[in-house]
Amino acid sequence: MVQGKFKSGRFRRVQRKVPGGRTAHRFEEARPKQARCGACGKVLHGIPRFRVSEARHSPKTAKRPERPYGGALCSACMRAKIVKENE
Amino acid sequence: MALFDIGRLCVKIAGRDAGRKCVVLSTEKDGMVLVDGETRRRKCNVRHLEPLGETLKLKADASRADVTAAFKKLGIELRDTKAKKAAARPKRVRKKKAAKEPEEKNAAKKPAPKEPVKGPEAGVKSPEPVKEPEKGAPVPEPAKKESPKPAAKPDPARAGKKESEPAKPAAKPKTAKPAEKA
Repeated sequence: MVQGKFKSGRFRRVQRKVPGGRTAHRFEEARPKQARCGACGKVLHGIPRFRVSEARHSPKTAKRPERPYGGALCSACMRAKIVKENE
Repeated sequence: MALFDIGRLCVKIAGRDAGRKCVVLSTEKDGMVLVDGETRRRKCNVRHLEPLGETLKLKADASRADVTAAFKKLGIELRDTKAKKAAARPKRVRKKKAAKEPEEKNAAKKPAPKEPVKGPEAGVKSPEPVKEPEKGAPVPEPAKKESPKPAAKPDPARAGKKESEPAKPAAKPKTAKPAEKA
């Protein structure tokens, strides 16, 4: 019987080849959704869909762009925000 | 008067320096300009700059000190960062390793010659005691061996003549004493 945690939607079912030679389904933790701009909702580039363990073992520079509002706003919204701040 | 002429104060709107103010120091072809200020001193595309209304009085390719003084008048203090000194790489360690290896090799080689040396040393030590016995051996060894033989010979004689026994022990010390002296 499938464990309750595997029915929560946090896991996804994947087909893996087991040592016995047959193919069996296994449960794998699902990756997070793509990051989106906080202003316009556009998908952000440069943000990998790391799992928690992968993100924990990755440097900060690998997880978001090296610019102000990196990882939160897209470049266009960031420019517009900076220009607005300096008006 | 061009928009991005020398001394124009701008805001960088792209890259890691975005949001920082800078001043145009020289114009180059293809829409590139040299900027300096809160940003790094480097060439920049005018598309990545947002011009501001102010203009600083600076000469073309002004030095960092002049830019710092001009920004100070605006109330902006620039922070000069010094390049970090590169840590010395452990090349010496490699040399040490390289030096150790031959030492180890030599050390590995040394024991080999030592073994044959030990042999002769042992031989030298042994010959000394051996020489002593060699010198003395021909005299005492046969004397010792002979001494029991004569003792054995006399034994049958002793069996024959019990009265001669006191005389034979007197002869034994005589043979033994010269052997010890030698």
